[in-house]
Amino acid sequence: MEILTYTTQQHWTTWFAVYLFLGGMGAAVVATSFLTHMYLSEEKELVMWGAISGVIMMVVGSGMLFLHLLNPWAVFYIVSPYGVFHKPDSWIAWGSQFIVWIQITAILYALPYMVEKPRLLNWPIVGPILKLPIVIQIANFAKRIHGFLGWVGIITGIGTAVYTGLLLQSFPAVTLWHNPAVPILFTVSAFSTAMAWLLIIMYIFIYHRVDHTIRALYERIDLGLITAELIIIFSFFNFTLSGSESGYRSADMLWNDNGWLIGFILFGLIVPLLMELKCVFGTWSGKVPIVTASLLVLNGGFQLRAFFMAAGIYAYPW
Amino acid sequence: MTHYAMVIDLTTCVGCNACMAACSLENQTPVWADHWRTYVHDREVGDTTGVQRRFIPRLCNHCDNPPCMSVCPSGATHKTPEGVVLVEPSLCMGCGACAMACPYDARYPATAKDIQKGKEYYGRLHRNSPSMDKCSFCYHRLQKGGEPACVQTCVGYARIFGDLDQPDSPVTALVRSGKARPLMAHLGTRPNVYYIPEK
Repeated sequence: MEILTYTTQQHWTTWFAVYLFLGGMGAAVVATSFLTHMYLSEEKELVMWGAISGVIMMVVGSGMLFLHLLNPWAVFYIVSPYGVFHKPDSWIAWGSQFIVWIQITAILYALPYMVEKPRLLNWPIVGPILKLPIVIQIANFAKRIHGFLGWVGIITGIGTAVYTGLLLQSFPAVTLWHNPAVPILFTVSAFSTAMAWLLIIMYIFIYHRVDHTIRALYERIDLGLITAELIIIFSFFNFTLSGSESGYRSADMLWNDNGWLIGFILFGLIVPLLMELKCVFGTWSGKVPIVTASLLVLNGGFQLRAFFMAAGIYAYPW
Repeated sequence: MTHYAMVIDLTTCVGCNACMAACSLENQTPVWADHWRTYVHDREVGDTTGVQRRFIPRLCNHCDNPPCMSVCPSGATHKTPEGVVLVEPSLCMGCGACAMACPYDARYPATAKDIQKGKEYYGRLHRNSPSMDKCSFCYHRLQKGGEPACVQTCVGYARIFGDLDQPDSPVTALVRSGKARPLMAHLGTRPNVYYIPEK
């Protein structure tokens, strides 16, 4: 029977884009700051900011999903490690495990530095908790297994970023989602937004406490990631243009939308790419251009996911 | 081994919606929210030279390779040995991934409000937990040797139910002859609901 209806879905809308955006970025922030701390710089500030902000992002992102569950109590079936053994074919089961373990790892990795930080110790609620003998014991133990924790964080961080794309890839009816490029695109975007976020932190909050070579390296990596994202996006455009009506209609929807063209492609990718290029080649100095470019990258990361959720087209023979 | 399947004959479906009524009463579905386990689409096709009304009943296709089951993180969506895809409401957290994965638009949310409303509407309600609901081929009736409510009530005999592993079943004959075909077979879901198209 021929297809009579082409339609979008109303189950997972903008709130789900927030989950994908904050979950992917938070996990990539933790993984990136761990890698930097383990192999590039012993700076405590960056890894602390990375771990804490990454966990906050993942808590807020997961909270969006949790608030939209019909039966939130049943979430305990998937947050326990038993969930993955029970349903190893479900990417949500894997993603839930990654998100749970990366948050635990991030807190444990940063804890030895947090218990030594005078400003944190003076905070209400947080300070008294950090001074508890059991917390200090956990921090000492975490310091002994720092390398192990770091690698658990890196693996689960990459896993979470990839999972955000694999989740959409599991839906066979929608050509825009059900293809091998989605996990790659979402992983590249997650790490690009993570770089942008960490650049904002380094330029605004801990400018004098971080080596400039780290900032310069992040700018160069972000430049490469934005370029890769642009290549994947345009190969997507080429892929969806022919082969299936669902894909063609998704392409038609996206590329005729000024929000996608101007909001995402222009101001989420091309403008920050050009701004970062000028910064990297030294013709622009100061904090403002790179912070502005990073804010645009963050906006682009969210727009990508929001438009992707909105432009998935289902084809029905009724 | 039993392998349940349904054939829907579009040449005899008159669009009376009796299947929808029978199903909603049998399975206490939240009809007030326009959520149905089976739904008959009424479409006009063609142009001024020949307009036709087309009735297309839709329900869960109880796929052999169900994408709703593989995405379900808690195992709430599962398959019986007879090939029926079921939902265990107490395990379902209602994330909606199954609805996103289903190419046949067969999953819908039965919310806590629907359960409250259902108690007033139907009197006594079978379900207690909110979940992503779907057609069960009336599994409770199959276990007692009966047929799905929609099949039993269909006035045009448009719905034919049977066991694909029984060579003498009318369903087996229709499927083997190629007269009845599945929807969107290219997606690899291997559906167990087949349609005899209009001529």
